Amino acid sequence: MTTIRRFSCNDLLRFTSVNLDHLTETFNMSFYMTYLARWPDYFHVSEAPGNRVMGYIMGKVEGQGESWHGHVTAVTVSPEYRRQQLAKKLMNLLEDISDKIDKGYFVDLFVRASNTPAIKMYEKLGYIIYRRVLRYYSGEEDGLDMRKALSRDVEKKSVIPLKRPITPDELEYD
Amino acid sequence: MASKFGLAGGIPERRVRPIWDAVDSRQFKNALKLVTSLLSKYPKSPYALALKALVCERMGKTDEALSVCLEAKELLYKDDSSLMDDLTLSTLQIVLQRLDHLDLATSCYAHACGKFPNNLELMMGLFNCYVREYSFVRQQQTAIKMYKLAGEERFLLWAVCSIQLQVLCDKSGEKLLLLAEGLIKKHIASHSMHEPEALMVYISLLEQQSKYNDALEVLSGDLGSLLMIEVDKLRIQGRLLARANDYSAAIDVYKKILELSPDDWECFLHYLGCLLEDDSIWKYFDNIDQIHPTKLIECKFSHLTEEMFDSRISSASDLVQKLQRDTENTNLRGPYLAELEIEKRKLLYGKKNDNKLLESLLQYFLKFGHLACYASDVEACLQVLAPHKKVELVGMLVKNSDSVSASATKVLGQTTTILKVQELTGNIFELPLDEIEASAVTLAKLYCQNLPLSKDLDPQESMFGEELLSLISNMLVQLFWRTRDFGYLAEAIMVLELGLTIRGHVWQYKILLLHIYSYIGALPLAFERYKALDVKNILTETVSHHILRQMLESPMWVDLSSLLNDYLKFMDDHLRESADLTFLAYRHRNYSKVIEFVLFKQRLQHSNQYQAARVEASLLQLKQNANSIEEEERILENLKSGVQLVELSNDIGSKTLRFNEDMQTRPWWTPCPEKNYLLGPFEEISYCPKENVNQDREENVKRAIQKKCLLPRIIYLSIQCSSTALKESVETNGSGSDLKICGELKLLLEEYAKLLGSSLSDAVDMITQISQGARSSESLGSDLMDWLNFAVFWNAWSLSSHEHWHMLDLLFEKLIQERIRSIGSSKMSSCYSDVQVLVQIITEPLAWHGLIIQSCTRSSLPSGKKKKKTQHSDHLASSPMSQAIKDSVQSLCSTLQEVSNWLLSQMNNPEVDQLERFLSTLKRNDDAGGGPGQVLAVLESFIASSEESEVGNRIFEALKSWNTADAARKTVMAQERVLREFLQICESKRKLLETLKQQMSHI
Repeated sequence: MTTIRRFSCNDLLRFTSVNLDHLTETFNMSFYMTYLARWPDYFHVSEAPGNRVMGYIMGKVEGQGESWHGHVTAVTVSPEYRRQQLAKKLMNLLEDISDKIDKGYFVDLFVRASNTPAIKMYEKLGYIIYRRVLRYYSGEEDGLDMRKALSRDVEKKSVIPLKRPITPDELEYD
Repeated sequence: MASKFGLAGGIPERRVRPIWDAVDSRQFKNALKLVTSLLSKYPKSPYALALKALVCERMGKTDEALSVCLEAKELLYKDDSSLMDDLTLSTLQIVLQRLDHLDLATSCYAHACGKFPNNLELMMGLFNCYVREYSFVRQQQTAIKMYKLAGEERFLLWAVCSIQLQVLCDKSGEKLLLLAEGLIKKHIASHSMHEPEALMVYISLLEQQSKYNDALEVLSGDLGSLLMIEVDKLRIQGRLLARANDYSAAIDVYKKILELSPDDWECFLHYLGCLLEDDSIWKYFDNIDQIHPTKLIECKFSHLTEEMFDSRISSASDLVQKLQRDTENTNLRGPYLAELEIEKRKLLYGKKNDNKLLESLLQYFLKFGHLACYASDVEACLQVLAPHKKVELVGMLVKNSDSVSASATKVLGQTTTILKVQELTGNIFELPLDEIEASAVTLAKLYCQNLPLSKDLDPQESMFGEELLSLISNMLVQLFWRTRDFGYLAEAIMVLELGLTIRGHVWQYKILLLHIYSYIGALPLAFERYKALDVKNILTETVSHHILRQMLESPMWVDLSSLLNDYLKFMDDHLRESADLTFLAYRHRNYSKVIEFVLFKQRLQHSNQYQAARVEASLLQLKQNANSIEEEERILENLKSGVQLVELSNDIGSKTLRFNEDMQTRPWWTPCPEKNYLLGPFEEISYCPKENVNQDREENVKRAIQKKCLLPRIIYLSIQCSSTALKESVETNGSGSDLKICGELKLLLEEYAKLLGSSLSDAVDMITQISQGARSSESLGSDLMDWLNFAVFWNAWSLSSHEHWHMLDLLFEKLIQERIRSIGSSKMSSCYSDVQVLVQIITEPLAWHGLIIQSCTRSSLPSGKKKKKTQHSDHLASSPMSQAIKDSVQSLCSTLQEVSNWLLSQMNNPEVDQLERFLSTLKRNDDAGGGPGQVLAVLESFIASSEESEVGNRIFEALKSWNTADAARKTVMAQERVLREFLQICESKRKLLETLKQQMSHI
């Protein structure tokens, strides 16, 4: 039983049990609010009966020309509601908005190279490892830049993997 | 800033950029050098001055920064038009905002806009100023001017948002909404509308005026195509129809949504609401503040005849069955949970269908019982069942759980679910002790048996059966409550600590542990567990309630101070930056977020915890420095002698406080910070639903904050009053200013007594009777500390009365001794609450009394070395008041000595003995059969026999590293540390009093 709707400020006061999970980062307020102020369609929450927060996704749309794309900044599901394909639903929603409303070429995301369960999940959702970003996480751990092409990228040019890893300063966007 | 570079006030970019670069890289000295040289070339450039002000402010030279800003402002106001540009003004604004002089920035922009009435950039700057000031009327006026100038849709919407904010926040008349509607209509007629967010604002504007049909017309017209997500559009349509009481049309819309997304719970509730013509669900729609989980949905049926009800419900059942068929292979919970909701409504209506509801709950269990969310999914259904039906349900679930054919993970999931249901229904409180014990042991075995399932899991992933340890610990706490056998608590600690050793990421264990540690006085460990939760940013608002109260009542001042400061910093930062983010939403045309941000900022500003933390931070400083009256006076001066806090106290009375804490994560036995069942005798409680604690809290919390807010001012006035009291007691005429001070003190004491629910004279009677033993101190209830404070300051107001001094001495002596006696007679577990009270008495009322004595003696001491003892001082020495002070000092010294002695007696036990005592509570007495230690025995024997091949290397290593004695040692050491910190405080107070005694003898 799931209601997916736009994330609102009050949800910040309700996502405690999702964010106490050690893999979910609690960002500062201006980070959340900048996303809400700029890309409200890319920030969705999913609720269970009793208005419990099950999980949420936040992202944005950015880039120029053929690199105009949707980006997943965070997607998280509370342990209580895992194994119900909720992350998939949230990801599909963001992909849909990037595809149909903003007409992006692809959706991308970063994941810790060591986070095998997450990498596997993204692969199941159709993402491929596009390139490795050396020491992306606090200058220590490598990040993987994963991508999924959208309908506008007819020839799927955006998801041809790069051969060599890059450094964070070579990234086009943060 | 980079994009703004150009010619600013005639300065070329190449000269300016290095200054910004230096500022950005925090090389302020270098920046200052550069800006000084720039100013030598352009001494009359407001922009160069603004840059200098910026650098000065960053270097902490705030006075200089402000005066440079004023200099720049003066130049801007001179009639030299070429100097007036947005870059200069916005730079000035940055500095002035940081200096808390937003008004100056606004007047600069207002002046600029007056000079160049057609400059859109400057007007935007001015609009931004009003956003920062939350001046919605001026925002509206400015936006309208911009709209008239440029004719752009966004400026019109800025104006409309400003109007909506006036209605929502300033409670301005709703006529304004009509004006906004007119503006939009006119705009649409000439320019149409182009942004989906603009359409949303238009609809919300109509909705705010209950013009649902007008809104529907807009939505179904051409503009409706602006909303690209079909479901979103349908949701709005359904809501508008329902609110317009056009239920049959709404039902069709909701059906459509359910066909598109059959798992949409909220939509199903709306569908059912429309079907039953029940509008209660919309009651909260405009009240967008709802953040606490709704437990029981209010239902209204009275208007429906039975026949109507039956036919409506049966059409709902038809739809649900269809949805179930359509989604048969998808594993969606929605259509099945909908069936439960229908049965629940029937029961609430008065149908005798409880057996059918049980049957549906069972079916839902068979399908989804292995999922971790079963219990919370059905919580609302459990609430409506009669107690014996709840028992029956648990029985049915046990009987039908699949123990043969299903996979191990499924069995584990189902078993865990049954226990969670049992917890939710409160059934567990009715079971006999040995059954609970046996159940806990079974769970421990189950946990061990299932550890191999997690063998190959990534350490990041949740393990199978993790919840079992939380459930066991809840049972053990209940056993403790019922038997008062400390061993059960010790065992709960061990179970959870072992759980953390196996997987350190389980936050539920950390929260349970922090509460148990707090209860038994092992606060340093509690705080450690709290820190391990990595609570930061917005979580400080929602999660710190777990630890804050215990810390406030503890002697761990350093940790408390960092806790309060981190929290206040987060809140203050947000309150400061929120307006900038609101402006960002304006700029990106996300108007609905504009309204949301403003309301959210208000919500945090009125947070009860924030208001309390502000005054507590001040009180903490006063507590920490109470041994030195000079330090205390410095702090009071920084607090503006407490005047602002008194104003806050008055303000809070009329304001609504917000409760943003997430109480759901608290253990059952302490559902809110003010409540701890373990402190009282065992009673059956049903914690389904966990009561909505916030409703009762508001008045109490408000009064508590109001009382605390008065304290700094009362302390300040008491010090003033007492500084001349001794002299006056031998002289006849007091000065006029003293009368004024004493008058204010008396007023505040009246106010304080009123907050205690009493008149001044009744309050005095109360403390007098208690000191004389005519009344028991229990009649002070949980306000004990406030009454003692009252007694202290009452004495400060009437120092010349020997009886008052004596009464106060007796009061301290009596209350402190009572606590020491109570500790002596209780077992090791429950004594900490008494220690907590002692800590508070000594660090608050007694400390304030110490200050008053310091103030009295200071004024009576000869002020210079050369002055010899005079006849005057002889008078002082022999005056009744001087004698009263001496007696008081003597009495406090010996009372404090008693506390110290008790503390020393506790700490003198060698660590080994204390450890032994702790561990002995866990030792099983085999002859007696039951008792604590059984669960731990299961876990320990599993550890001893486990093999690496079975549980995998990681878990194996964790198990082998476990040592019960180590965990016990940490606990007793933490308990001792609290006592040590407390002892230090007592000793420092006693030393102070000894010094005062010495000084008094020289008078």
